[in-house]
Amino acid sequence: MLPACVGLVPFGIVCGVGAAAAGASWITSLGMSAIIFSGAAQIVCAQMIAADAPFLVIVLTTTVLGLRLLMYSAAIAPYLKPLPERWQRALAFMLSDQVFAAAIRRFHMDDDRIAAGRHFLGSGFALWIAWQVSCMVGYFAGNLIPAAWSLEFAVPLCFIALVAPVFRNAPSVLAAISAGVAVVALAHLPMRLNLIAAGLIGIVVGTVADLARERWTQR
Amino acid sequence: MDAALKLWAVILVVGALNYLSRLSFIAFFARRSMPPLLERALRYVPAAMLTALIVPMVVDVTPDGLHPQLPKVAAAVLATLVAWFKLGTLWTLGVGMVALWVLQSVR
Repeated sequence: MLPACVGLVPFGIVCGVGAAAAGASWITSLGMSAIIFSGAAQIVCAQMIAADAPFLVIVLTTTVLGLRLLMYSAAIAPYLKPLPERWQRALAFMLSDQVFAAAIRRFHMDDDRIAAGRHFLGSGFALWIAWQVSCMVGYFAGNLIPAAWSLEFAVPLCFIALVAPVFRNAPSVLAAISAGVAVVALAHLPMRLNLIAAGLIGIVVGTVADLARERWTQR
Repeated sequence: MDAALKLWAVILVVGALNYLSRLSFIAFFARRSMPPLLERALRYVPAAMLTALIVPMVVDVTPDGLHPQLPKVAAAVLATLVAWFKLGTLWTLGVGMVALWVLQSVR
C-alpha cells in the first residue's frame, strides 16, 4: 500500500497545481479532490474550466473518461459479494485507478474476503487522505515553483504512467494511436470537443481490432 | 454562469456520475453480468481517452496545426518506455522531467 501512496503524491500535487491555475479557491480545490477523487477527471475539469468550456461538454468528457470505472466496478464486484452492503457502498467510493490495482492484487492473494475487504477499506481510506493532502500541497506550493521548471509537463507524465502499462496488445496500441491522431486532426473543433471525439474513436477502433483479432485466431 | 458556481456544479455532477459508475456493478447490476460487447469496449477506454489527453500536452496542438518541440516529445517517449516496464509513477515522472530539463538546456 505504501508504494501506491507514494506514487500518488506527485499526481496529487499536479492536480492541486492545476486547480490553482484554473482559478479555484482552496476550498473548491479540496471539494474537487474529495468528491471527484480521480486525478484524471480533476485535471480535465480544471483545464476545461480554465479554457471556459461549456458545462455540458465538461461533464460529457469526464463521463467518457470515467467509463473505465464501470470496468473496475464489474471486476471488483464478485469479491465484494460476501461483504455487508454498507461496506460495499463505502468501498465503491474509494475505487480509483491506484486503489483498484492494489485491491485486486490483495483479493487474489487472500481467500478471506472479509479480511481483504477490511484491507481494501483501510487502504482506500489511507489513499483518499494521502490524495487530499497532496492536492492541497500542490494547490499552495504550485505558485512557489519557478516556471522554468516546466512543472505543467508533469501532467502528461502522470497520465503516461497510468496508460503506458496497458500497451501490451495490438488493439490497445491501435486504440491509442487512433485517439492520438484524431485529437490532433480534430483540434479545430470548438469547446475542446476533440477530446471526447478522439476518445470515442479510439474506443471504437480498439473494440473493432479486438473483435477482428478474435475472429482471426479462431480460424 | 459565475465561474466559481460553474466549478462547483461540475464538481457535484462529475462526482455523482463517478460514484454511480463505481457503484454500478457492485450495487445496481450486482446480479447481472456485463454485456460482452460493452466489456470489450471498456477495455479500451484508458488507452484511447488517456492518450487523447496526453497528446495535446506533448505536441502543442493549436487549431492552425502541430507545433512539436523535440525536448517534450523525446521526454514523453522516454517516460512511456519507463512506464511500459512498470517502474511506477515516480520513475516515470523523474525520468520524464529530467529528460525535459536536460534537452531544454542543451538547445
